[in-house]
Amino acid sequence: MKVGYYPGCSLEVTGSAYNHSTQKVCEALDVELQEIPGWSCCGSSPALKMDGLLSTALAAHNLALGEKANLKDVLIPCPFCYRRLLSSQDEIKADGNLKTKVEGIIEAGLSGDLKVLNLLEFLHRVGLNRIKANVVNPLIGLKVLPYYGCYLLKPAGVTHFDDPENPTSMDKVLESLGAKVLDWDFKAECCGSGLSLSKTEKVVELSGRLIREAVWRGADAIVVVCQLCHANLDMRQKEASKMYGSKYRIPIVYLTQLMGVAYGFSNEALGLNHHLVSPQRVLKKVR
Amino acid sequence: MVRRTGQPEEREFLSRVIRESGQNLLECLQCGKCSGGCPITSEEVGGPRRMIAEILAGMKQEALEDPTWWYCVSCGTCATRCPVEINVYKVATVLCEMAEKEKVAASEPGIHRFEALFLKSVRNNGRVRELQTAMAYNIRSWKPLKDAGKGMMLMIKGAISPMNMLPTGGKEDAMVSRIFNRVEQEKDGE
Repeated sequence: MKVGYYPGCSLEVTGSAYNHSTQKVCEALDVELQEIPGWSCCGSSPALKMDGLLSTALAAHNLALGEKANLKDVLIPCPFCYRRLLSSQDEIKADGNLKTKVEGIIEAGLSGDLKVLNLLEFLHRVGLNRIKANVVNPLIGLKVLPYYGCYLLKPAGVTHFDDPENPTSMDKVLESLGAKVLDWDFKAECCGSGLSLSKTEKVVELSGRLIREAVWRGADAIVVVCQLCHANLDMRQKEASKMYGSKYRIPIVYLTQLMGVAYGFSNEALGLNHHLVSPQRVLKKVR
Repeated sequence: MVRRTGQPEEREFLSRVIRESGQNLLECLQCGKCSGGCPITSEEVGGPRRMIAEILAGMKQEALEDPTWWYCVSCGTCATRCPVEINVYKVATVLCEMAEKEKVAASEPGIHRFEALFLKSVRNNGRVRELQTAMAYNIRSWKPLKDAGKGMMLMIKGAISPMNMLPTGGKEDAMVSRIFNRVEQEKDGE
């Protein structure tokens, strides 16, 4: 199986563990990732906030590069890039004038046929049976809380993926790895997202709520599918402890890292040694 | 809240927001489900319901100075729960563009600074240079050592490379610069 790949800027730097573990997992699942040649930034939240046309054009430029490389589908692990490319494609399809304008700006035509996939959608396409068949090291006894964040699910009118209030697609993948999936009400609550630097206290409050709840539920780890959720939850535990008058230290891991553990890859190959709150101790349970 | 007086300029502002965002604010029921689920609504930040009320009431100045749309992280919760499917982050984009055009000072200069630096990095390099942008932001906010300890720790663990912080090493993506230039020209032509 071959699929296009758009890692996005964060996965090259702060989210490199997400990038490497995704590639490892795909290798194990016999999926060949074909990176979109010469991809650029999707504009992310700053373009979306400050300039609608720029935001649509930057995303469309990457869609056009994918089409030019004859890709049929493209896996985008970063939920923001995923939603931005998907949404840009919809905006252009719905508005002929916008299409002409954007095609002029990006110097390329757009057919709009490229199928944009988020990580969970892609994994379900591969199939739970295949995901399970590769497990050599089941995660039995590991209590995890799946955290989906926002951009993968919401708004439902853009993503049309899973249930935006009570999603279950990640739960199913984790169960197929043998982990004990706990339930909670914060699956799709916001972590504070791009306010990390400019309004850190807001991020501490929002991410802190999640951390507090996860600790109270007795989870060994929170599992994420977004590098920004990861950064906020992993980096702000000290401040959150202060704010909520407790001492929190709960590991935050990527779903692809846990898949990699179940598939027998080393902690180092999966970047599990890179997090501020080290997950290596709780993972001894299943190693 | 001020009632609408029916002045043409009030109407003009409302219809412009509706036209440019594609969101029919006239359908808003003021039910408050948006602000109820909104992660950034607080005592200081009024939230989407109030922001829409300002637009409906023709309170242009208040709407353009409302911190809500600066704080908005486009999580999409309001759009998912809204009974008439109004997407507030699309309204945020329009208010931001309008405020910039009319030179209304940013009510949240910190958020504005970060977003402008981010786009500058994309314009210069095709891809955003995250760590460089974060450092530039902290320096310009007079907090050069904010999160330095965490950055150091991540570097020791090998999660990030010091190379990514250097101001050099970026490469221009000619196509991306052209996209920025053309979008700017489009706007000037309006």
